[in-house]
Amino acid sequence: MADTSRVTPLAATAPVMSPVTLLRIAIILTVLAVWELLSYSGWLYRDVVPSLLAIGRALIDLLTHGEYYFNLAVTAGEVGTALLLGGTCGLIVGITLGANRFLSKAFESYLYYLGPTPKIIFFPIMIMWFGVGPGSKIALGTLSCFFPVALSAAAGMRQIDKTLIRVGKSFRASTAQMVFKIYLPAMRHPIINGVRLGLGVALIGTLLAETKLSNKGIGFLIINAYSTFDMPRMYAMLIVLFILSIGANAFVGRFGGLDTIRRN
Amino acid sequence: MTPPAAPQSSNEILVVDDVLVRFDTPDGSVTAVDHVSFGVRPGEFLSVIGPSGCGKSTLFNVIGGLLGHTAGVVSVAGETINGPHQSIGMVFQEESTFPWRSVTDNVAFPLELIGMPKAQRIERARHFISLVGLDGFENRYPNELSGGMRQRVSLARTLASEPKILLMDEPFAALDEQTRLLLGDKVLQIQQQLKQTTLLITHNITEAVQMSDRILVMTYRPGKVKRIVDIDLPRPRTSEIVGSEAFGRYVAQIWADLREEASRGMRDEEDHMMQPAGSKS
Repeated sequence: MADTSRVTPLAATAPVMSPVTLLRIAIILTVLAVWELLSYSGWLYRDVVPSLLAIGRALIDLLTHGEYYFNLAVTAGEVGTALLLGGTCGLIVGITLGANRFLSKAFESYLYYLGPTPKIIFFPIMIMWFGVGPGSKIALGTLSCFFPVALSAAAGMRQIDKTLIRVGKSFRASTAQMVFKIYLPAMRHPIINGVRLGLGVALIGTLLAETKLSNKGIGFLIINAYSTFDMPRMYAMLIVLFILSIGANAFVGRFGGLDTIRRN
Repeated sequence: MTPPAAPQSSNEILVVDDVLVRFDTPDGSVTAVDHVSFGVRPGEFLSVIGPSGCGKSTLFNVIGGLLGHTAGVVSVAGETINGPHQSIGMVFQEESTFPWRSVTDNVAFPLELIGMPKAQRIERARHFISLVGLDGFENRYPNELSGGMRQRVSLARTLASEPKILLMDEPFAALDEQTRLLLGDKVLQIQQQLKQTTLLITHNITEAVQMSDRILVMTYRPGKVKRIVDIDLPRPRTSEIVGSEAFGRYVAQIWADLREEASRGMRDEEDHMMQPAGSKS
């Protein structure tokens, strides 16, 4: 009898909040409390740790002014373009390397060497090539995002079930049909993963470039707030950026996740 | 004993004429298929049986046009095969459904490739889904089906391309015995209904005797035609025939041939394993 209670569906007995959720909330509250304590303690230089109230005010101020949205649109445009360019190139290169043993032996090690290199070291070159405007930021974002997408696509291409390729060939599929009806759908999980990683590094690359040399974009606003020592505003922007990144990642993940549930 | 039939292109739809397949390996060249000749008549069910390593699957890939051969000719209705041919439909041993496509979209795949309009290909796909007995599963995805059902989806997909010759490589090998027998009945029923010319590659004697009009027994490496046996059992046949006396005689006869080859294969493998490590290099 005692054992039957174990098979009761979880949903029926689960509390409104699981212990994990409670713990997470507790951690956030603790951090906020420690933060607030530090800001009032006077142990640190003024405004290095501004009070939550000040950050809240700065956040409202930030979100009620058009200037922020303009710069957000600039950065989003740069990241989007970088993801599109770098992702497309990465996909093409990855599929080519994955499909051709000779090319992959010849070139893939370069991808592995250059992949982890911090792309910011190429920024001076990008400025010389594409100027101080959005061009150089897009170029750096593109460069960052190219590598994870290319490497995942190449690996994904090699993981394709060989039988499925033989099925396509036995039905005399053309090269284009093989790519669009077999290779790409069979690689959807590694590709989505690559795009997810690519989005992350494109965001990093673009923002990093903006903090170095620019006159618009979120990176510019953040570094501007820092250099005028407007700490509450800087923290407010970091919080918004943090939330936006989580949202973007969740969006790409959901895109892949739904696919996983419905179509394995 | 029937000698290996000389190809008679007049009444045979598939002709395998003196086919030789040789692979180059680091240890030298290996002959997988050694001057094999046979023909398949329209509407006939022919099985190719042999021990593991006799080059059955190589032969399957050569006839399907997925693998080149060293010498000889394979022709379908008088046309020499040079790559996958539209008259030949292959069913693979391995899991081969597309996991991202529903049952209907899987079966409609070959029709999609030739550009058939959507409404028409869905209707045709439904027909073949119903033929393999999967009514009601049209919108399911392969991961929601059992292994036997997935193999039926693969069969329906190949049948949907309306091949003149259905070429199957141990399509039931990965299934349990009961499913295998029931699916065998289904295949036989469909084959008789469509008068589908079928070439089955298998190592299962019972399966081969139950289904075939003729059985081609292959030798262990290099794969040659050892014997072609006519199976003179009444049709329609179901798995119930397995208990009959005539059936038992055929099984015993083919097993006698196969036993010899299979034990040669076993000795050969044991010899390979007895070799001290490193002697190869």
